[in-house]
Amino acid sequence: MEGRIGKGEKRIDAYDKVTGKGLFASDYVNQYPVLAHMKALRSPYAHAKIKKLDLSKARALEGVIYIMTGEEPGIDWDQYPKASIIAKDEALWAGQMIALVCAETLEIADKAIELIDVEYEKLPAVLDYYAAIEPNPASVVDPEYETRPLGFSDRPGDRASNRVSPNVVGAFKLHAGDVPAAMEKAEVIVEGEFWTGKKTASPLECANAICRYDSDGGITLVSNGAGVHGVIKQGICRILKMKESHVRVIQPYMGGSFGSRLNPYVEIITALMCLRTKRTVSFQFNREEMFVGAPSNWPCITKVKLGAMKDGTLIANDYYLAEEIGACLNNTFFSGRLSSSGVLPVYRMPNLRMDTCAVATNTVPAAEYRGLGCPESEFGIECLVNQLADELGMSPVELRLKNIIDKGERDPHGEVITSIGLKKCLQSVADAIQVDETPEQDMGVWKKGRGCAVGGKQNTPLGRSEAEVWYNSDGSIQLFVSCDENGMGATTALAQIAAHEFGVPVSEVKVTKGDTAITPYDNYSASSRTTYNTGNAVKLACEDAINKLKIEVARVYGIHPSKVEIKGKKAILAGSYVQEVEIPPLFQPTSMFTQGNWGLQKGTPVIGHGLFCPAPIHQWDENGLSDRVWNWFQYSAAAVEVAVNEETGQVKVLKVASSADTGNPINPKLVEVQIEGGVHMAIGFSVNEEHVFNEDGKIANANFSDYRLPTILDMPTCENVHAFINPDPLPDGPYGAKGMAESITIPVGPAIAHAIYKAVGVRVNGYPMTAERILALIKEKKAKEAAE
Amino acid sequence: MKRMEINITVNGRKHELYVSPDRTLLEVLREELNLTGTKKGCDDSNCGVCTVLFDGMAVKSCTMLIPQANGHSITTIEGLERENSLHPLQQSFIDHFAVQCGFCTPGMILTAKAILDENPDATEEDIREGLHGNVCRCVGYKKVVESIEAVRDGEYSESCGEV
Amino acid sequence: MRFEQYYEPKTTEECIRLLEEYGADCKILAGGTDLVPRLKNKIWRPQAVIGIGSLPDIDTIKVDQNGLELGACAKLRKISMDPSLAKDYKVIMEAAGNVSSMQIRNVATIGGNACNASPSADAIHGLIAMGAKAVIAGPEGVREVAVEDLFAGPGKTVLTRGELLLKFKVEAPKAGTGAVYKKFAIRGDTDISIVGVGCGITLKDDGTIEAVRISLSAVAPKPIRAAEAEKLLLGKKLTDELLDLAAETAENNCTPITDQRATAAYRKEMVRVWTRHAVKEAYERAKSV
Repeated sequence: MEGRIGKGEKRIDAYDKVTGKGLFASDYVNQYPVLAHMKALRSPYAHAKIKKLDLSKARALEGVIYIMTGEEPGIDWDQYPKASIIAKDEALWAGQMIALVCAETLEIADKAIELIDVEYEKLPAVLDYYAAIEPNPASVVDPEYETRPLGFSDRPGDRASNRVSPNVVGAFKLHAGDVPAAMEKAEVIVEGEFWTGKKTASPLECANAICRYDSDGGITLVSNGAGVHGVIKQGICRILKMKESHVRVIQPYMGGSFGSRLNPYVEIITALMCLRTKRTVSFQFNREEMFVGAPSNWPCITKVKLGAMKDGTLIANDYYLAEEIGACLNNTFFSGRLSSSGVLPVYRMPNLRMDTCAVATNTVPAAEYRGLGCPESEFGIECLVNQLADELGMSPVELRLKNIIDKGERDPHGEVITSIGLKKCLQSVADAIQVDETPEQDMGVWKKGRGCAVGGKQNTPLGRSEAEVWYNSDGSIQLFVSCDENGMGATTALAQIAAHEFGVPVSEVKVTKGDTAITPYDNYSASSRTTYNTGNAVKLACEDAINKLKIEVARVYGIHPSKVEIKGKKAILAGSYVQEVEIPPLFQPTSMFTQGNWGLQKGTPVIGHGLFCPAPIHQWDENGLSDRVWNWFQYSAAAVEVAVNEETGQVKVLKVASSADTGNPINPKLVEVQIEGGVHMAIGFSVNEEHVFNEDGKIANANFSDYRLPTILDMPTCENVHAFINPDPLPDGPYGAKGMAESITIPVGPAIAHAIYKAVGVRVNGYPMTAERILALIKEKKAKEAAE
Repeated sequence: MKRMEINITVNGRKHELYVSPDRTLLEVLREELNLTGTKKGCDDSNCGVCTVLFDGMAVKSCTMLIPQANGHSITTIEGLERENSLHPLQQSFIDHFAVQCGFCTPGMILTAKAILDENPDATEEDIREGLHGNVCRCVGYKKVVESIEAVRDGEYSESCGEV
Repeated sequence: MRFEQYYEPKTTEECIRLLEEYGADCKILAGGTDLVPRLKNKIWRPQAVIGIGSLPDIDTIKVDQNGLELGACAKLRKISMDPSLAKDYKVIMEAAGNVSSMQIRNVATIGGNACNASPSADAIHGLIAMGAKAVIAGPEGVREVAVEDLFAGPGKTVLTRGELLLKFKVEAPKAGTGAVYKKFAIRGDTDISIVGVGCGITLKDDGTIEAVRISLSAVAPKPIRAAEAEKLLLGKKLTDELLDLAAETAENNCTPITDQRATAAYRKEMVRVWTRHAVKEAYERAKSV
């Protein structure tokens, strides 16, 4: 039996999914014959005073069980996920809950919502960074801003030395080297201001949760939320003050997340309603709510100044970043540090100054989205590196190869880079698209251009993962894990690890996952960490089980355990009177007269336990520097050929090549499809996706008709989509593997931006690069040329 | 509301249902017949996860009222598997890694079936034209097209049932 | 509950009776692709829904030497793929084929596309470009209305209480006629149009334009004709300068709105771009037949 690592094993969940047999969380509604349903009344205004909220008619409606408002007694809303906070006196974004109804049927809940008598007084709102950052903004988002401390304010570096606006709610500064001096020395300087749009991850399955009220006063929650232990159970126990013994959280198949379901905005409030009503309750978001009531990403505004020498060597980066975080009150999460971490791992940069902040707006609160702000934070840098290449007459590939940091070097933060395969990534995509060649112009009004970019993303140390593995008495293997399976294939990769360790086919490994009453602790699957973190735990669990099994087998044959080797159902023995033995028969039967009382027993598995936890961070110093904050780095490069319609401004990606440094891939086929999927997601948000607001500050395109997710027609044809894996093994990853899902989305946007420049000569300083924006730039350029 | 008699054949089985005519085909399939392989994604016919075959044609079941299906024949994802084998498209989707979170998969497979049933020689262009009403967020479509092309090219004709 | 009563009349008379009885309190169910989302979102709360799929001949597609008849419930996809339309009614096929996805076109009907009276409807512009008439049955009998005159505003038609759109009639085109519909949307057919331009041109033997119809989608509360631009073209031979002028005129004579799909300014500019393409292509087609 050869190893299972590096093999394109079929997904273990594919049969369930192609047959429709596998139950997703939203399918559980059918599993409960009696279910109470929740429905929210949401603010139609971005900012409004609630002048009147009369629930009497709604409460009187037959079948209404409970109605919750911001005045609900005994609630500390500051503890709740931001998007699930019910408005008290003021609605802070269009979509914020005003009241939450629980009723016997969805229809009654709908009717109750209509019977709620609510009056608003519309107030001025700030809908984007530019409006919010004004010294005297039209709206101060946090009603308690004067008394509330800045997020993380007790840590060095986390200071808004110049709180330019009351809407600045978090800050971080970093200074390495001497940026002013380096800028003096620089022979070339490129600079610009860049923005990115507000987007919604849009997993196809809407957020949902069902919470069962158990007879012992405990609750069992089934949802498509991520992090059954670390996010949901911990959240419920902490916020609702439940006993850990009485909270069970189950995650069935989930229809996508892309980071967005790491925020328990449905789960906690559903559990609360369950406890209030002592009923089994269901809260199913609809698609509009996924836009207005579920967290969006956080757009970033960056001002970047790069100093370089004429030979292309980058020497300094003066960098400002603002995270636009929506109506996040009591912010302790955002300071700019998360997004700006993307600035660190890619280029050798002796002098770096970062000044970052978080800015609140009257829009839906932001939370995690694939890439944690790095596609946004690195866009400007990558655009400027391309511009620098143009100005120096260098190839953007060559310029990057000169500046990409090498393994063993320290990034500006002070951390050692332990694994980086980025140069090879870049070369592979540049070759595939021939990025330095100019394409033939043969498409009429569609002008073609090519571009490339790179990206890096940190892995955050996010606590422990545990795994349990059973070697059953028939030799079959069971694996118990609590990582999330958003669709990326983690459970298949983990099954491969177990199969590899025991020397069995993957089909011999049964994975049970995501049930806090059964499966061991895992914090959550974020930061592309599952293969690395849970993977290491699985490997440890297997090693533990194998060691125990060796001891048992060795006892039977009277040899030292080190003389035993486990190969699937066989044990290979050294120094014994037998060389090879079948393991299952060694398990003693349990029939009445033949049972044993120790050793291997039929029906009793040999159990291994694994626990892996990356080292915690070292607190950064006054300059924001530390030699240990981020764990390791994943990298990706992308190259594209686009066509730009000169008449309409439309951008079409004709060819794309993307490459990932995954470390050694556990399953290259799964990596390949992650690359293709990441590329397509990035094409979507780079070109089209963004929230558009109406005059009330409500998202006007909160549906799949007008929020333009990429369809198959937005992807190049099959032969023009290239996915490459260029691993640099991660020393502490299982078999040298690391994660990769987020980095893919980083370089696609700036590669498209440069390709647009090459095609029609306009530089785009933000995304989405919509047709209207590109056409405006083309016209501006033409007008300028005409004037000259 | 007064329920009405609806006679539909679903996956070859005849059903006589008494349901309220204001319900959608999707709701009836999921809630009355427990066929939860047909998913609800956007609920306004843009994402395609609710796709079923309606007398062999791909339709979005979230925007059809149940009376529209009266007297018609519906195939859902649950109707494709045969006793001893998956449908070629199902097997091909597995083999080509065209499945990730899997939420779009039933709709994708049924749309693919409609495309190939209508045009067994469908080109990549035809497949793209037929599939642009099915949104996928994970896979990025390439592997979906490859799966369909493999079935079109007869790679599964021996091992499985009819296309 | 989305409505109280459901009817499925078997005769036109019965249907008209029901429509008269309920008036504004009922909605017609044809394909349902527009109706059902609105029922679910409670944009419409009719008392009754009247399914018209069982009416006689309501979904026929009939071509003879006199012309084409399309039943109100003819499915857009059937229309878009019917080979008997390919010679003389290509624009009708194309415009019907521009609506959304295959799944929607399998269900959505040509009559629904008209009676829904969306300012951004696509399929009806194939009819307008061909000068089609809508045949309407009502309590007072049957009347005919030019398709372009069917619309009263967003979501509103000129149909009065008790009236039902039965079918569309298109006369067989004269020799030298070419027509085209250009849909412009960011993601293609999947999207609702940002603008759409239909154009039908009939040429005299000498190549001058004998008749021209330009219709615009998504730039006004209802589908409109670009009358000024038409006037410019009439009786002339098409030159590049004339084409530019006509396109510019079309642009200047419309006042679209800004919405979540596009700004007014962008829509105006796209009217110019796509009027140019539509007129040019219709002209080329007219020349080639």
